[in-house]
Amino acid sequence: MLCSTRQGNSSMGELSVIGFKPGSSPLHQLDPRTKQLLLMVLSVAILWGDVPFLVIISIVLLSLSHLAHLRIHRLFLEIRYFLFFLLFVFVVRAVSFNDQWLPVITVDGAQEAMTICWRLLLVVFMGVLLMSTTRTADIRAALIWGMKPLPFVNERITATMVGLVVRLLPLILFQASEIGDAMRARGIERRKNPFIRLTIFTITLFRGVFLRADALVDSMQARCYSEYRTLPELSFSWNDTIAAGVGMLVLLTAFIS
Amino acid sequence: MSIIQTSQLCHRFSDGTQSLSDVSLTFKEGEFTVIAGANGSGKTTLLRHFNGLLFPESGSVSVCGISVKKDPQAARRHVGMVFQDSDSQIIGDTVYDDVAFGPENLRLERSLIDQRVTQALSDVNLAGFEEKKPHNLSGGEKRRLGIAGVLSMAPRVLLMDEPFSNLDYPATCTVLSQVLKLHQAGHTIIITTHDLEKVIAHAQRLIVMEKGCVVQDGRPEELVADIEQYGIRPPCSVQLGKGIQAWVN
Repeated sequence: MLCSTRQGNSSMGELSVIGFKPGSSPLHQLDPRTKQLLLMVLSVAILWGDVPFLVIISIVLLSLSHLAHLRIHRLFLEIRYFLFFLLFVFVVRAVSFNDQWLPVITVDGAQEAMTICWRLLLVVFMGVLLMSTTRTADIRAALIWGMKPLPFVNERITATMVGLVVRLLPLILFQASEIGDAMRARGIERRKNPFIRLTIFTITLFRGVFLRADALVDSMQARCYSEYRTLPELSFSWNDTIAAGVGMLVLLTAFIS
Repeated sequence: MSIIQTSQLCHRFSDGTQSLSDVSLTFKEGEFTVIAGANGSGKTTLLRHFNGLLFPESGSVSVCGISVKKDPQAARRHVGMVFQDSDSQIIGDTVYDDVAFGPENLRLERSLIDQRVTQALSDVNLAGFEEKKPHNLSGGEKRRLGIAGVLSMAPRVLLMDEPFSNLDYPATCTVLSQVLKLHQAGHTIIITTHDLEKVIAHAQRLIVMEKGCVVQDGRPEELVADIEQYGIRPPCSVQLGKGIQAWVN
């Protein structure tokens, strides 16, 4: 499980495709509020949409990721643990038991399981696209803007929490791959019990992540961190209107199909 | 005029280890100080007290006459800290975001933040790097980015924890030149190191620490000959009998 191949990814710079990547693609140029709104609306539509809608949205997302120079094969490598989860979901949904308690897979069951996995994968894919084309500071600013009208919610603290998760996720993935390498270098593959391997890996990863988080907190405090800081200036443009229009057209296909 | 003052400063870690004992020091504005000591001598712990990242168990630390314990934010505004691990200091998604992080926390206007970022990046020769990913920079560039991130907050004192560790020769020379330029511009510089070779020629004051205590404090040329007893290697030029010699002109 921890032995999957990783191709030439050794520097922090190459740490993950999950995380902001500077660029000038159409998605980079959109206001983060537009992207967040489209993410929410399309995620709900995906969870209800049928196969033709999923095909359309897959084509749109693949085109956008190509324009944003997101490497799909690297992305699948990064989310390989999520793919294991999808495999688990597929098995649970597709396999049923007959009268003799023997496992059987029906075509209908497999189709339904495949559609569910496809939907979940598309939602995650949209999240990755948002993260890789939007600065963490912009995501935070957009969340503060969006949550401001909500009562009993401290929008700045909530947005900071989300921002830190977005910021730490690539670092955690990088740390995980470094620990995987270090364990392989010391012959972890000779330990055949996957639970022991997973335990060693998890404890080391958690310790590393906590230390990393500590260092990040120190660094933020040293530079006078405050929740009440100058926010990035956000502004809607014609591109956002066009994107919202295209998003709504895609959404309509969910109802038509 | 003194800018940082510690009085009988003591600090103990949560595991009971005494990390600082009775440290009383005064740093003058515009001074270039090197704090040297072997690993675990308390150098980094001392720096963290100046920036309000740690507070004394007993004794006191003040910056510009204000107690760090009472007002850590004021200390952090006046005293900028460049960490030993450049990667852990990177906060922003781009070079611009990272350098702007400090001024944004100070709630400056966006136009002023842009000015400060431009100036800080220019000061460390990173102009034009604004849209690059910080993690893609080289070791020396990351170190200079760390300095720019602090400079953009316009501090009066710059603390640098082992600023030359893990840098190759050209990168060390570049960072050292930037540090000297900042000192000439009037910044108070405090550098910790266990390797005096690169920086000692430019320092006006050398403080030697051992087991959490200050064991020597004076002019580098007076102290450097006998420094080996504290687990610090004297510069090659001193060992060859040529006195202290500079790495960069």
